[in-house]
Amino acid sequence: MTSILGELEIIEKNFAERLSGAASSDELQQVKVAFLGKKGSLTSFLKKLGSLPTEERPAAGEAINSLRDAMEQRLASKKTQIEEAESAEEERKNRLDVTLPPRSRMWGGIHPVAQLTQDVVEILAGLGFSVALGPEIEDDFHNFEALNIPASHPARDMQDTFYFPDGKLLRTHTSPVQVRSMLRFGAPIRIVCPGKVYRRDSDPTHSPMFHQLEGLLVEKDISVADMKGCLEALMEALFGRSLKARYRASYFPFTEPSLELDIECVECSGKNPSCRICKGTGWLEVAGLGMVHPTVLRYGGIDPQVYNGFAWGVGLDRLAMLKYKLTDLRVLFEGNVPYLLSGRAL
Amino acid sequence: MLISWNMLNDIISIPASLEEVAERLTLTGCEVESIEYPCRQLKDVRIALIEKLEKHPEKDLLFVAAVNDGIGTAVVVTAAPNLSAGDRVPYGRPGAVLADGSVLGTRSFGSVESQGMLLSAEELGVPEAADEFGILRLSPDAPVGEDAKKWLGLDDAVLDLSITPNRGDLLSLLGVAREVYALFPGTEWKNDPAQTPAPAEPKEWPSEFRGITLEDDGCRKYCLGLATGLVPGVSPLRVRIALSFLGMRPISNMVDATNLAMLTLGQPTHAFDAGRLAAPEITVRPAVQGETIRTLDGKSHSLQDTDLLITSGGNPIGIAGVMGGENSEILPETRSVYIESASFDAIRVSRTSRRLGINSEAAFRYARTVDSALAEIALNYIANLLKEWGSAQSAYVIRSASSERKDQVTVSITGKMLQKILLTGDLDEASQILQRLGLKEIAAEEGKRTFNVPSWRPDITIEEDLLEEVGRIRGYNETMEPRLPQVLYGRGDIGSVTRLKGDIRRTLLSRGYVELVNYSFLSPSFVKLLRLPENDRRARPLELANPLSGEQSVMRTILLPGLLRSAEQTSLAGWKSPVMVFELGRVFLPLEEGGHEEIERIAGLVYGGRDPRLPYGPQEADDLFSLKGDILALAGSRHVSLQFVQGEEPFGHGGQTAGIEKDGRKVGYLLRLKPSIERDLDCAPLYAFELDLEPFEKDVLPSFRESSQFPPVYRDISLFVPSESPMEDVVRHMREEAGELLRNVRLFDIYVGKGVPEGHRSLAFSLAYQRDDKTLTDSEVDGVHACVRKKLEALGYILR
Ligand SMILES: [Zn+2]
Repeated sequence: MTSILGELEIIEKNFAERLSGAASSDELQQVKVAFLGKKGSLTSFLKKLGSLPTEERPAAGEAINSLRDAMEQRLASKKTQIEEAESAEEERKNRLDVTLPPRSRMWGGIHPVAQLTQDVVEILAGLGFSVALGPEIEDDFHNFEALNIPASHPARDMQDTFYFPDGKLLRTHTSPVQVRSMLRFGAPIRIVCPGKVYRRDSDPTHSPMFHQLEGLLVEKDISVADMKGCLEALMEALFGRSLKARYRASYFPFTEPSLELDIECVECSGKNPSCRICKGTGWLEVAGLGMVHPTVLRYGGIDPQVYNGFAWGVGLDRLAMLKYKLTDLRVLFEGNVPYLLSGRAL
Repeated sequence: MLISWNMLNDIISIPASLEEVAERLTLTGCEVESIEYPCRQLKDVRIALIEKLEKHPEKDLLFVAAVNDGIGTAVVVTAAPNLSAGDRVPYGRPGAVLADGSVLGTRSFGSVESQGMLLSAEELGVPEAADEFGILRLSPDAPVGEDAKKWLGLDDAVLDLSITPNRGDLLSLLGVAREVYALFPGTEWKNDPAQTPAPAEPKEWPSEFRGITLEDDGCRKYCLGLATGLVPGVSPLRVRIALSFLGMRPISNMVDATNLAMLTLGQPTHAFDAGRLAAPEITVRPAVQGETIRTLDGKSHSLQDTDLLITSGGNPIGIAGVMGGENSEILPETRSVYIESASFDAIRVSRTSRRLGINSEAAFRYARTVDSALAEIALNYIANLLKEWGSAQSAYVIRSASSERKDQVTVSITGKMLQKILLTGDLDEASQILQRLGLKEIAAEEGKRTFNVPSWRPDITIEEDLLEEVGRIRGYNETMEPRLPQVLYGRGDIGSVTRLKGDIRRTLLSRGYVELVNYSFLSPSFVKLLRLPENDRRARPLELANPLSGEQSVMRTILLPGLLRSAEQTSLAGWKSPVMVFELGRVFLPLEEGGHEEIERIAGLVYGGRDPRLPYGPQEADDLFSLKGDILALAGSRHVSLQFVQGEEPFGHGGQTAGIEKDGRKVGYLLRLKPSIERDLDCAPLYAFELDLEPFEKDVLPSFRESSQFPPVYRDISLFVPSESPMEDVVRHMREEAGELLRNVRLFDIYVGKGVPEGHRSLAFSLAYQRDDKTLTDSEVDGVHACVRKKLEALGYILR
């Protein structure tokens, strides 16, 4: 009996050695076969059991079985260990360089003016203004006459106009949409009209085509203070912070009184006397505005005794330049792909 | 409009600094664009008396002067030939600074050491004020030892004001003085030029003059002055300096006097040589169609019957309010002049000057309305100047003719409107403001005041004009807090077009495109580039009558050229990666019946770039089908379905052009550009699409369908399809045959090559059959599928 136990101990010791030496599933299988296979050492040992004295057999059998159970258990746990290691190795081999570029296309490039127009329109929708659109090729009536700018009025000098041979013209401002909208919808009305406008201007700081946004509100008992409130709400939402505002009296034929709005310089807030954006004045001219002239209301079919309101115009290109800190207006209309892509985060 | 701060202070006393005045003018509607100090750097220049003047002992061309500048005597060398002992001149000692910033020192000329310099007009910073070559000689009354900068008015500041077109009255010193008077209570008039008295001279006709006839109501008032015994010469130095600061070149005493009158009062005047008139009379009449006149600038003009002419003895001598005629121009030998000071119709002057392209100072002012009350005053002003300067023996107003209707404009302002617009009910304050502006209160009722409007404010005609005056002078900043309109409104509607553009923009940006905004004008050469035939209406763009350049002379009829230009330019600039661009914008198309339509479009362009290498292999490159995916994505973002059919475009590749349809109507194209155009632009391949926005405009809700609870059964079909047969036809035939049961058809393989008959391609589809009410059995599916196969065979397709 003692000798049997001694032999089992040797088998177990051998097994432990072989098992710890097994590094792959194949080697593990070999170990299994060597000890537990048909001709394995333990199996062979079991066959010897019959040669033992009867009274020793049960104890020897028990010892062998318990050793086999232990071996199987250790084989299984070793197997899991090896498989995990092998899988990890396989995954390491399939390692990808995650810094490679994506296969699909990158995000494109927004146009600052298009983006800004959308932002402004959304902000104003929140204040109850709906979008109205109008033609870019206009007639004299809507672009001038109905806006209280009769022929030969010196105010026509303010806007050098592109004409067509039939007398039609490229609108010089988005204001004609005011008149069209009043005639169509009547009062009360709150509209904004974004769009392209054209002036025959070859100055290097001006483009013959640019973008304006016209706002119009006609209701009852509207004051200059209401106009200030709307414009300041727009500027605050657009630039994401409250900006000081300054109003200067001005002149537009279609408003009376007429004003201009300056906002605090978004670059230096008036703190830099050599600021490139505000030229050291601390102020940026951003909008022309005023109470709608009674003549214009009448042209729009609205009774100025009952209703009044205000209108304003902002240069969207200029606002885009201020918001996105752009320095050149004309580059925006030159189809400059590298420039337009330069704003994208990569 | 340039205004001299010194001159302004000569006529009013202002209880405020220059900066305060500028700030206030800017806020009240008269923007001060700049404040210039023309001789800012000039320093320590004194008036000196030349006590002795001798030739330089060694140098022939130089003189040595002993000058006394009140501090003491100094020796100074000069090359000026125009000096003599006893002259008074500007002198700078060593340390003095010239207008250009240079500092004077001591310098040796041979044996003589020169201390500082005697100065010319140019060195003082006023080259145009010189009346002779050399050192600037001052008048005998120039006080020796005095600061020359101050005494000559070189310490002046010049304000550049931007005057709005409604305020013609501000185009003068007088107008600005009136404005400042209104802005700063406490301002006093010192010397109101509008009160210039008439010179004490005879008031009757000179015997030889026959009179003034007004034959056209474009001239309401015509005054004439007469100056005789003219002494040719220059105007006083201080006047010449002031004129040059105000942007007017000093010319002669006569011309300078009329210019000074215009700058001071705003009234343009014109001097005719009395001896050169065809007859001693003036008639103002409309021009005869085709009549010609040669103006002062030497140009001839052909006139129309709407132009207003000044004539004498039947001959034109001037275009009213625009420019005088050459035939009556004053000459150096002129000894007597008639001076015209008139009131002409703003619109008539404006039309004529615009048509003839003459932008004279006079026309600019008349187009903005000149106060007719100034006509005689300007003549008085000029007559006084000529006499004060000793430039004429006699000068006076001889006669005026007038058909003026003196309609006094009266306007009222109500407390109600003040409250409504400016949120103030203070009529007394409003009245005070208006009165300081020169309006006269003629009635004060409960809640209402009525005013007479002065002649110089023709822009004030209605209550809103008074509100504006009160508003701008009270200011809009501190007087009221901003607020939002009291009536609450729901959210506004940005509208379907804006929503649509937003959807498209987001879709295309996420698919890698760059958004462009191109000019709406094109060069007409795009028609040729795109091979547009004459009968294509896109080949007949609207032409501008007055384009800035040929490059921008017609309106675009198609968005593609702008995108092509961007690809071409980008690649020329050295960009090698692919270019993917899109634009949302309008095209302008002529209509058969005349006129035009404006159509909103979306167009995209993809250019593979100069360097087509890609990290994941060539299958990654864009082609017609990747653009098709982009188009379907943007259609998908609007829940719109589109069809693609084999198509044709003049600029499209003969075999790779698709027409895009919605509900059977063509809405755009998708194509590769014609290879010859790719060669013209040296860019290939170029893929493009362009679509009308209108079909996408309606906001459509997606419609969902409940899916069957029973699993679909799949069967594959692979078949040979002739190359010219569209895949969609095959799918359509399958669907027609299988009906309801066929839920989905998916193409999973396209193969051309070995084993496929010539002129064919092999297409393989996976078909999904499904029912909503039960699981399909294999035999049911096999039955339907067999019918599909049979149908395709019957149609001539070769099944595999
Ligand atoms: Zn700044």
